[in-house]
Amino acid sequence: MSTNQVEVHGLSKSFFDQARGEVNAVREVDFECRSGEIFGLLGANGAGKTTTLRMISTVLQPSSGTARVLGHDVVREPVEVRRNLGFYSASTALYPRLTARETLTLFARVNKYPAERTRDRVEEMIERFGLGEYAGARIEKLSTGMKQKVSIARTVVHDPPVLIFDEPTVGLDVLNALDLQKGIQELRDEGKTILFSTHIMSEAERLCDRIAIIDKGRIRACDGLEGLRAATSQHYLEDIFVHYVTADDTTG
Amino acid sequence: MNRRTVTALVINDLRQLARNPRVLVFAVALPLVMWPLMWFLTSLTTERRQERLESRTYLYAVAENPAATDGQAWLDRALARAGDDRSPGDPDTADGPTVRFERVETPADVPAALDAEQLHVHVAWESGTAESGAPLAVFTYRADLDASGAAEGFLRRALQRTRVEVRQQRLEATGFDTKPEDLLPVERIETASEEQTSGLLLGRVLTAIIVMMMLAGGSIVATDALAGEKERGTLETLLTTAASRVEIVTAKNLSILAVAFATSVLNIANIVVWMQLDLIAAPAGLKLVIPVGAGVLLLLLYAPAAVLLSSSLLLVSGRSKTYKEAQLLFAPVMLVAMAVAAIPVLPGVELRSAIVLLPIANLGVAAREILTGHYDWPLLAAAWAVTAGAAALLARASLRTLSAEKLITASDTDAADLAGGPALFPRRVARWFAVLWALLLVWQLNVGGGIDSRLLIVINMSIFGAAAWLMIARYRLPVRETLSLRNPPPAAWLGVLIGAPAGLVIADGVVRLASLAMPIPEEWIEAMAEAFGADIPVWQMLVFFAILPGIFEEIAFRGVLLHGLKSRLRPVQLVLVAGIAFGFFHVDLFRIPGTSLLGVLLVIAVLRSGSIYPAMAWHALHNALALGSARIEQIRLPDQPTWWHYVLAVLAILVAFRLMRQNHQGASRPAGSGPEGPVPGG
Repeated sequence: MSTNQVEVHGLSKSFFDQARGEVNAVREVDFECRSGEIFGLLGANGAGKTTTLRMISTVLQPSSGTARVLGHDVVREPVEVRRNLGFYSASTALYPRLTARETLTLFARVNKYPAERTRDRVEEMIERFGLGEYAGARIEKLSTGMKQKVSIARTVVHDPPVLIFDEPTVGLDVLNALDLQKGIQELRDEGKTILFSTHIMSEAERLCDRIAIIDKGRIRACDGLEGLRAATSQHYLEDIFVHYVTADDTTG
Repeated sequence: MNRRTVTALVINDLRQLARNPRVLVFAVALPLVMWPLMWFLTSLTTERRQERLESRTYLYAVAENPAATDGQAWLDRALARAGDDRSPGDPDTADGPTVRFERVETPADVPAALDAEQLHVHVAWESGTAESGAPLAVFTYRADLDASGAAEGFLRRALQRTRVEVRQQRLEATGFDTKPEDLLPVERIETASEEQTSGLLLGRVLTAIIVMMMLAGGSIVATDALAGEKERGTLETLLTTAASRVEIVTAKNLSILAVAFATSVLNIANIVVWMQLDLIAAPAGLKLVIPVGAGVLLLLLYAPAAVLLSSSLLLVSGRSKTYKEAQLLFAPVMLVAMAVAAIPVLPGVELRSAIVLLPIANLGVAAREILTGHYDWPLLAAAWAVTAGAAALLARASLRTLSAEKLITASDTDAADLAGGPALFPRRVARWFAVLWALLLVWQLNVGGGIDSRLLIVINMSIFGAAAWLMIARYRLPVRETLSLRNPPPAAWLGVLIGAPAGLVIADGVVRLASLAMPIPEEWIEAMAEAFGADIPVWQMLVFFAILPGIFEEIAFRGVLLHGLKSRLRPVQLVLVAGIAFGFFHVDLFRIPGTSLLGVLLVIAVLRSGSIYPAMAWHALHNALALGSARIEQIRLPDQPTWWHYVLAVLAILVAFRLMRQNHQGASRPAGSGPEGPVPGG
């Protein structure tokens, strides 16, 4: 069996923006995510992280190149891709008038989780994420931390092998952010493949098994932290990041 | 399609709606109470008003003059019967008239007395003619005052009835004692059944009522369906699930249909209950009974109309960025749908006509025919198929809105609103040119034809120049980049020399082609010849009709307009839109085809060369050649061009554009200019 759960080759995205004209948001991006690893996509705001992840999750159509999730092409088999994927980002909101339990049931159903096991799976998620006391409360009544737990639970409720977390800690306080990072590590330990994007160096350093540095839509480097250190003779990820980004600026 | 997924999504939508008390109260419960209540209150108020008007005393005055004595006899007789014509069917009528008139002194100022309601109607008598002998009554009253208007009405009708009576008495006195109604008796035999008569009445309004209720009910869910989800951020969550786009759209349509159907049934049931309680009156002659067979057929017939309506609502919701925008855009959809649904009201419109091709209207006319017992099966099937086809197209279009990347990325473009300046210009350019076009149209239509053609050109060019300057200043546009003030490749000038005459030949061909559909009148040709009159010196012809348009129209259209549209349109769209817009600014219908083609060619010239200068030269040369061909035999266009003229012209144009191609190293850019937008071919 192939160890690559996600394969991205020559992926590009350009679009017309009313204010800026033609924008090349992602340019010929290549990377693979191996089974059971946390793969980090590290880049500044506007570097192309979200656009890349949206193409992998089939929300956006690539302009060129290919992306596959468990061998399923994002353009030709979008439903199969999404069935094997859990997508979490700060912009993926929940329905405010559903309860936590209803939310999990809805997403289990629309993600085609087996009907006969849905109820048990929902209860399992409620227990695992500590939602028991609030399972019957509407999302709009929950605290930010609880909403975030429900969000993660709905991302994994259909038990997808690949999870995408797009800047998941944006807007969270330190404790909630740490809580979320812990949850992501647990999911990796269970064997999930995790594609994680962030612009926070410490987060990438702590969580990621391998890191791809993305800047102006291009992947500048891709390796484990040790490999990146060896290649740049820098110790801290911030310095490594600056090394690759400024190297690009000087070379044009 | 997975039924479980669709069901889950529909339940989710309905649950969201059911848990939104504000929507339930304002969109569902309140109309249920408000509409019948308004109906009831309106009929109650009308009834009360009528009662009040029929049981009061009206004040009248009669002008003193010699004819008044004769007129008073008529008036007394009429006043004895005032109020006999009260509301038909009013049971109180049997008790005799209760409308009373009281005579008052003629006031000094009649209008003031009417205004103060000290007088309701003033009667002045004028002497009658020698033939009839009857005096002429002149009523003065205030139609805007309830009592005054009613008094005049009662009095006038009473006098008219008196006149009929007197005429009859006079006829009898001369020995003609036949009553008018006995003179030519008419007996009517109505062969239509009560159901058919009622069916015609119902059939005229049924479609409009159903469409109105479906839209009102469906819009409750539709606003939230995509626009609301997008605003909340739940749409992206939904789009990253394993639900296919078809499943999502199907679920949304089903939710809209379910709520639209439920609210329609509720509203109809509500009105029926109020009618049964006699709180509101049913229209006269209307029987709300539809035979079972016809009912089933109507349900089948309206099914595609329902899908069409829900898909159009979903499409609007999908195209809107926000909930509010969706609500705003529903208004025109409702207006169009209601206008189409009201077509069955028009007399004489039959299904066996072109109406069968108009969705919804065809079903409305079909429903009317079914309710009157006419079943034209082939046409019924055709109407159903046409509306179903339109519904399928709209459903497909609403499906595409889920694939539109603007659903996710639209918020990015809002930054331009805040930034203003050059970033905002692409969004405003169409508006500016629309206003400019309207101004030009008004100017040309009202003044244009009446002044010297040279002065007209100067004024038009000043308008274009001023508008261009205004836009550049208002949006702080970089002048050199906006107007493409760059040195073109040297070969571009040769391209102009080849392209301009070839372009003229093709433009001539386009005009000839257009004249097949839209024949050019002789008067128009004469007027054009006069406008570009032969008595104008050649140098003036060149200055006013070639050089000035070549400069100012290029600045406005290939400069400012093209710059504004460049970032919004793809290259082919850009060439067509910017080119044809130029044609439409030549507001004369017969000049639009030729000038549109010229516009297209000039846009390509700018995009190919990266500079506006070749387009200016091309434009000036084109106009000069066009004028010259009318005067100079040697360069006259062939009267009967053959196909090879056009083939050669097209080849020459291709060569010209090839010569204009930018040399990436050679074509100089203005200092400090930013990166350019995409250009075709490169």
